[in-house]
Amino acid sequence: MSDTKDIRIITRPTKEQIEQAKIDFAPRCTSAGRVNDKETQKTVEFILNFARKHSLFLLAYGTGCGAIEIPATLTSRYDAERLGIRGAATPRQADVLMITGYLSVKTLKRVIRVYEQMQDPKYVVAFGSCTINGGMYFDSYNTIKALDRYIPVDVYIAGCMPRPEAVLKGFAKLQEMIQNGNAGNGECYRKNLDWYRANQRKVIKNWDFPDEYNW
Amino acid sequence: METIITKLNEIFNVRPKILRDRQITVEVDKNRVSSMLLYLKNQMGFIHLNHISCVDWIEEGQFELVYIVWRPEDKTTVLVKTRIDRENPEMENIDTIWDQAHTYEREIREMFGIEFPGLKAPREFILEGWEGPPPMRRDFDTRKYAMETYETRPGREDAQNVREYITKRTGEKVPDFAKKYSRD
Ligand code: SF4
Repeated sequence: MSDTKDIRIITRPTKEQIEQAKIDFAPRCTSAGRVNDKETQKTVEFILNFARKHSLFLLAYGTGCGAIEIPATLTSRYDAERLGIRGAATPRQADVLMITGYLSVKTLKRVIRVYEQMQDPKYVVAFGSCTINGGMYFDSYNTIKALDRYIPVDVYIAGCMPRPEAVLKGFAKLQEMIQNGNAGNGECYRKNLDWYRANQRKVIKNWDFPDEYNW
Repeated sequence: METIITKLNEIFNVRPKILRDRQITVEVDKNRVSSMLLYLKNQMGFIHLNHISCVDWIEEGQFELVYIVWRPEDKTTVLVKTRIDRENPEMENIDTIWDQAHTYEREIREMFGIEFPGLKAPREFILEGWEGPPPMRRDFDTRKYAMETYETRPGREDAQNVREYITKRTGEKVPDFAKKYSRD
């Protein structure tokens, strides 16, 4: 610590001051992954996608009736973990948002909030005919009819409700899409935010959350 | 059972009917509902309010409110029914008698548009930011509202009126008022 440039002073909570060597994270962060050469980029993408597709952390948003199939899919009978699919605790740790049925307007508001909290790359799997065209709730006064008007959807799984085999097939499709680089719509959502917001505003009139939600 | 019927008859001059075993239904004037409920609660031991439900009698221009109370000793249920006007409906608030009545009244207020003056917290219940008419009224056209409000995916236009299809197949006779308020 001879050079004063590389030293910074830190005040501890006890008011005691200590000296520490400067750590500069920035150069390492920017230089990593910056590959200009096309071939190398391809290889890096391949490896990244391979890793992504085998560790899908699932945030199951259990609306509607379909939530009952998630335990069956994840537990030992169908054992989705052998494909690398397992549950995540919070939206910020999750890769896949799974919507398992009809969404009322009130729930849609929460789903949008959850979706916007998730980190890229993020995928959405919609589950059941209710998310596709309204299903048997097509004439209900309070459920939305087509989920992809409000948030982008990667994979739809048809059925009312789909069996765990169908769910696994849907995930296999998602993995294939991830490997080919077709999945992940966070970018698309940000680019077309105006269109999505306009659609959301058509049905959600009151954007305030009750006090106990505003953390 | 008999004592309940005679007592109610003596005091409120009503005609309770036995619906089935351990179930009594009684129709009473709107203004005497709360006094009857108080009497049932304090004197007869009907300490539990099961539910308040609402029926829309659109042909008669009336709403019917049903207060269901229950006595734990002999497991008897009494249904106190009252009719109120469908125009500017208003009903006495009973959340001072039972706290849980507050929840049911808020729900009825939102779903049928019946006002309960003096409600503890008269704010929205389930429907957040709802701007349409009260959805459980029978003159609310659910399908039309849904088609106007939500974007639908094309391809479902051939969905047929299931009710009509079934009546045609079985030869069932639908009364005129039911036809009037059915979907198409
Ligand atoms: S698709 Fe069927 S099972 Fe799934 S939420 Fe809709 S009605 Fe329920």
